[in-house]
Amino acid sequence: MVTGNFKIAFDSIKAYKWRSFLTMLGIIIGVVSVVTIVSIGEGVKKQISNQIGHMGPDLITVRPGKPVTRNNSGHIDAVNFMSGFVGNSLTENDVQAIKKTPNIAKTVPMSFVSGTPRADGRTFERNVIFGTTEDLPAMLNQDVEYGEFFQAHDADKNVVVIGKSVAEELFQETVPVGRSMQIRGENFVVRGVFEEFATAKLTPNADYNAAVFMPINVSKKLSNNQTNIQQILAKPTDPTKTNEAVKSMQKQLLNTHAGQDDFTILKQEDNLAIANTILNLLTGLITGVAAISLLVGGIGIMNIMLVAVTERTQEIGIRKAVGATNSQIMSQFVIEAAVISLTGGVVGIFGSLLANFFIRVTTDLEPVITLPIMGLALAVSLIVGIFFGSAPALQAARKDPIEALRKI
Amino acid sequence: MPIIHLEDVSKLYGFGDATTVALDEVNLSVERGEFVAIMGPSGSGKSTLMNVIGLLDRPSHGKYILDTRHVSRLHSSQRAKVRRDKVGFIFQSFNLLPRMTVLENVAVPLSYKGLLQTRRLKKASSMLERVGLNEREYFYPKQLSGGQAQRVAIARALINDPQIIIADEPTGNLDSASSRLVMELLSDLHKAGNTILMVTHNPSLTRYASRVVFMHDGSIVADEQTELGEIPTTLKRSMYFMPRRTVEDDLKGVSTLMNTMPEDKPIVLKKPAKKPAKKRTYKARKSTTGGKK
Repeated sequence: MVTGNFKIAFDSIKAYKWRSFLTMLGIIIGVVSVVTIVSIGEGVKKQISNQIGHMGPDLITVRPGKPVTRNNSGHIDAVNFMSGFVGNSLTENDVQAIKKTPNIAKTVPMSFVSGTPRADGRTFERNVIFGTTEDLPAMLNQDVEYGEFFQAHDADKNVVVIGKSVAEELFQETVPVGRSMQIRGENFVVRGVFEEFATAKLTPNADYNAAVFMPINVSKKLSNNQTNIQQILAKPTDPTKTNEAVKSMQKQLLNTHAGQDDFTILKQEDNLAIANTILNLLTGLITGVAAISLLVGGIGIMNIMLVAVTERTQEIGIRKAVGATNSQIMSQFVIEAAVISLTGGVVGIFGSLLANFFIRVTTDLEPVITLPIMGLALAVSLIVGIFFGSAPALQAARKDPIEALRKI
Repeated sequence: MPIIHLEDVSKLYGFGDATTVALDEVNLSVERGEFVAIMGPSGSGKSTLMNVIGLLDRPSHGKYILDTRHVSRLHSSQRAKVRRDKVGFIFQSFNLLPRMTVLENVAVPLSYKGLLQTRRLKKASSMLERVGLNEREYFYPKQLSGGQAQRVAIARALINDPQIIIADEPTGNLDSASSRLVMELLSDLHKAGNTILMVTHNPSLTRYASRVVFMHDGSIVADEQTELGEIPTTLKRSMYFMPRRTVEDDLKGVSTLMNTMPEDKPIVLKKPAKKPAKKRTYKARKSTTGGKK
């Protein structure tokens, strides 16, 4: 019976190829868009966790303001987009305070300098300029590919180390070591070029490949003796003691801030949580929109099945005359709708693999289509087919065989 | 025990003033092995009677016993099952499914019984052999002649070994040669012991029947046993009175048969089974009384 129904379903799809294809198209587009968006989200998450894994899970970040809110158990439950980028509550005193904290091995401040690097008459607009100290490469676990990072004795010299994108776009060469650039009217000599940083698009993290790093003392000079510390990085003496280190840091900083809790200490897992919160919000929104196309696809199936039921009234009459019960007729049409939508789902998955390929080739994103995503897409398209096929199938099942046979 | 026993079966359509009486307290008993031809003008209730007997429709009133089982009040899915197992339908327009091969068409009723595909097709193939079409198994219905298509339909009707075969004008769409072939096939089935009910407008086809029932306005107005190969006397009489067809008649769209059907004074046949062909009438009456027990 059931295998027979599948054969009937495939036969009628074959008989009305063009119509069946158009019906499937709704499901195909829906599945492709949902799967692609979810896979982009998954890909970015994977990139972030790679990035974090590269920097080391014991990296501690202190940021000004309150970019996140935590619930009672200490888990991040919301992200405040704005405060992560504004606020100026961290000072050099805090850097000193953290340095003195027990269990902390290394501390690196990163102060933000506004300005546009200029060289050979070109400017580099999408840059970020940081003032920092010589411990940065070790802190980020990142090597300098060409040249070297500035050392402690370079603290007052106009030297910079740049990311790969700066080298390629501003100097248009891979090794611009020894060349000079101008920032806010001062000349700087390029001391080194970083190895490529693992980046993750669509996250609020700065792209260090487009960054220019200079000694923090020099950056202070550039911004009228002010420091605008965007974040302080720290590493504990022992990775297993990260939590203790964070606790004592919190205490230490509260002291220097006179009890005012206007800073945030983030572990790497917190950073991951922040990125995931933002990504889930984004992909959730877009997936919702994409899911509407699945809904529209389902309505398309319903429409076509209603037409098919009307067209095949005589067939229904014949089948009933030879002994088909209402439920047998119903299952025939439900299976037909399910086969259409499931085929659409399968084609959609192939389509999204293709889309995945093109996205990887043309952009920096690396979408990941996992088996659960595929399974979910298939299940959803199957459910859509059964759900929207039921009403027409019920209509078919309820047809009066005499009326149906008379329609000749 | 008759295989079909209808007792005061009525079928009404519509409500109130618009009520149409399609069947008006019909009593009919058909014995196993009979070949009953049902005649009557359009709208006389032949098709409704066939639909009720074939369990496509439910009578509004009355009792219907099919093969010792009360079926007049069955639910539609129960009726579908009884229909599948006990009734074979043959239609005027063949009603084959166009997108299936001949073999698959014949096997359709078996699929609703839950047989496996290989067994279905095997059985269908042997049934096609019986109607002499086993060389056309993989043809599509549109590749067949009318006569062949009707024979396929007969094979489909026979596939479940039905207790009764209902043929609604089986030769209505066929030329005379194909008609003969199909009728010979039905006749063979009759001789093999099958019970056949056939609606027809063609008086000459009653030769194949063993009994002829005339209907008018929802009632059976004449019921007569005939020898095979004979045209029933009722029909002969009505043919005798049959006026020549005039152009006006044709234009009016009224069939000559309808004009001459026994309904008014000249031939009153309200209780027809009593007078002619006494021997066989006895049998028919005995069967009705038997049914009442």
